[in-house]
Amino acid sequence: MRRGTRRGICREAVLEAGAADPAWLRARREEAWEIYGAMPLPSTRSEEWRYTDVGRMLPFDELEPAEGGAASGPPGELRRAMEQDRESAGRIVDVDGRVVSVELDGAAAAQGVVLSSLREAARAGVHGVESLLATDAVPASDGKFPALNAALWTDGVFLYVPRGVRVDRTVRLSRWVSRPGTATFTRILVVAEEASRISFVDEILSPGFDSVTLANTAVEIFSRRGAQVQYVSLQRMGRGGFYLANQRTLAERDSTLDTLNVALGGSAGRVDLNARLLGPGANSDMLGLYFGDADQHFDFNTSQDHVAPNARSDLLYKGALDGAARGVFRGVIRVHEGAQGTDAYQTNRNLILSDRAVATSLPNLEIEADDVRCSHGATVGQLDAEALFYLMSRGLERERAERLVVLGFLGEVLSRLPLGGVADKVSRAIEAKLRHV
Amino acid sequence: MSDSPILAVKGLRAGVADEDLDILKGVDLALGPGEVHAIMGPNGSGKSTLAKVIAGHPGYEARGGSVEFGGEDLLEMEPDERARAGVFMAFQYPAEIPGVSIANFLRTALQSRLEDGEELDLFDFQELLMERMELLGMDASFAERHVNDGFSGGEKKRNEILQMAVLKPALAVMDETDSGLDIDALQVVARGVNALREENPEMSVLLITHYQRVLSHIVPDTVHVVVDGRIVESGGPEVALELEAQGYEEYRKAHAA
Ligand SMILES: Nc1ncnc2c1ncn2[C@@H]1O[C@H](COP(=O)(O)OP(=O)(O)OP(=O)(O)O)[C@@H](O)[C@H]1O
Ligand SMILES: [Mg+2]
Repeated sequence: MRRGTRRGICREAVLEAGAADPAWLRARREEAWEIYGAMPLPSTRSEEWRYTDVGRMLPFDELEPAEGGAASGPPGELRRAMEQDRESAGRIVDVDGRVVSVELDGAAAAQGVVLSSLREAARAGVHGVESLLATDAVPASDGKFPALNAALWTDGVFLYVPRGVRVDRTVRLSRWVSRPGTATFTRILVVAEEASRISFVDEILSPGFDSVTLANTAVEIFSRRGAQVQYVSLQRMGRGGFYLANQRTLAERDSTLDTLNVALGGSAGRVDLNARLLGPGANSDMLGLYFGDADQHFDFNTSQDHVAPNARSDLLYKGALDGAARGVFRGVIRVHEGAQGTDAYQTNRNLILSDRAVATSLPNLEIEADDVRCSHGATVGQLDAEALFYLMSRGLERERAERLVVLGFLGEVLSRLPLGGVADKVSRAIEAKLRHV
Repeated sequence: MSDSPILAVKGLRAGVADEDLDILKGVDLALGPGEVHAIMGPNGSGKSTLAKVIAGHPGYEARGGSVEFGGEDLLEMEPDERARAGVFMAFQYPAEIPGVSIANFLRTALQSRLEDGEELDLFDFQELLMERMELLGMDASFAERHVNDGFSGGEKKRNEILQMAVLKPALAVMDETDSGLDIDALQVVARGVNALREENPEMSVLLITHYQRVLSHIVPDTVHVVVDGRIVESGGPEVALELEAQGYEEYRKAHAA
């Protein structure tokens, strides 16, 4: 294994990450690093980080920025995960924070679709990258981790769909993190122009690690007028993995921008998702699904920002927690002044499978308009003893009965997902995980 | 009747777990292979409690007496073991399992009956399920619905019968499966039970009901009357007819005296 001298998270690492970058990008990294340095680490005294003590959970002084993977192609486990996928319009593979391969369907390419390593797109001056990278969606000024990512990102995806182009099959990113104790910084930038259509699946896997290993991701998604976009994140890291993501979706007039976050793996996960409804007629379905066991810790912090009138957002996050797992959901619907005619819904449901598992659910509404339809709801429940007895009375062993109830509970989320193949893949992953519980 | 019973309940006393009060106060019952016994009795007399103790509901405990099934001590077995041994209970109030289709549920139930490492043949399963639904006059789409989720009372009862028809038990305990069914549905249910008995003449049925009506479709060998946790009378089908005419008043009085 190739290993440079230890750098840690420091200014040299920022310079190194940007060594071959154009001047504008180097400047942006420097600025982000300044912002990062000026901001305190989120503490549990702040409302948004109350339940995730990053200072304690992430050993910042020991993390080593990842230097990219071997060029020998994806490892076996990642390849097996990829083989489960249905055919795709494009496929990009990233190992330890470096894109190692990009394939795009010829027909899509001929229509002007761009699928590229973000690093190469930035260096080549591909149109749209400079203006949209870490500016309108997840800028460094957004917070400590967005700043860190903007300073240190090594690679990621640039996906551009021209006006009117409808890509029916999914574009997939398959990510693999192999080195314990590293920190990987990845960015995803998706731009769907007017009346275009695209679905993008971002899957991350890793082996189990003895030391905390960070995968940090900034996701920026733009759907222009009338576009239809789906973003799916499948987090299936091994133990020791810490997944930390900042996602922002910007939905313009009459566009659909749907997301699904699935958290199954890693030791800890924190996802900040901000959906912004920027034009009338915009719609965002926001789905989430998590299943934790042992000492896994999943924290979702979501916001639905209704900036424009007459837009709709509908959030459903469901989680099952076993062992001593912890789930946190904090969601807010913000209806800005003037956003009349808003339809915004938010539901979080948790199923607790053991007396040591804990779920915390904090739904919130901030409404500054008067003609709105909003609802929020949260539940934390145990396995229904009558349901379990019912299943067992048909011959199912207790474990099998529990498994079925959990699958049914989480299945509601998957059944809402129109994307072909993803639901199958996720239910298989959940079933595989249930067999180990 | 000379055969050794498939189900032998002797002096059974039982109640709600963690509560002292006995609901069943000494029940004796012997059901031979292929026999149909009906159990009738006023509300709250302990009929469902008996059914749940036989099925192994964790909320109830047996405090005295015994329950044997095919010579085995049923009370020592987990509910799933009882089911795999051939006991089936059609619930008076079946539970809802959101997100789980009937087909998936039944497939899993059959898979549970196989040895480790053995896989259910999905083609055979599909064929069995379709054949059973046809027998019960059900639309194929029914199997894709989530177990009892949003079902009408009658649909829940039909679902119980479908499960029974697929799982083919040796002993079916049917707790008021005839309640809440319209006339056509009642006939469908009766046809299902009778078809199963024809297929397997050894199948025994313990039929809990409030109505004589169902007993003209599924004819019992014996009718028991349960009052206040005890069997106060057993006899032929005529007992049900008498009850229909006279109600439980006589038994209550005799019992209170
Ligand atoms: N889980 C329970 N907790 C408390 N009491 C119970 C419980 N289960 C049964 N009982 C009581 O035991 C008695 C018998 O109930 P059971 O359900 O067996 O009656 P039943 O004969 O089936 O009546 P029905 O004809 O109305 O269905 C009733 O008084 C009932 O309230
Ligand atoms: Mg009852």
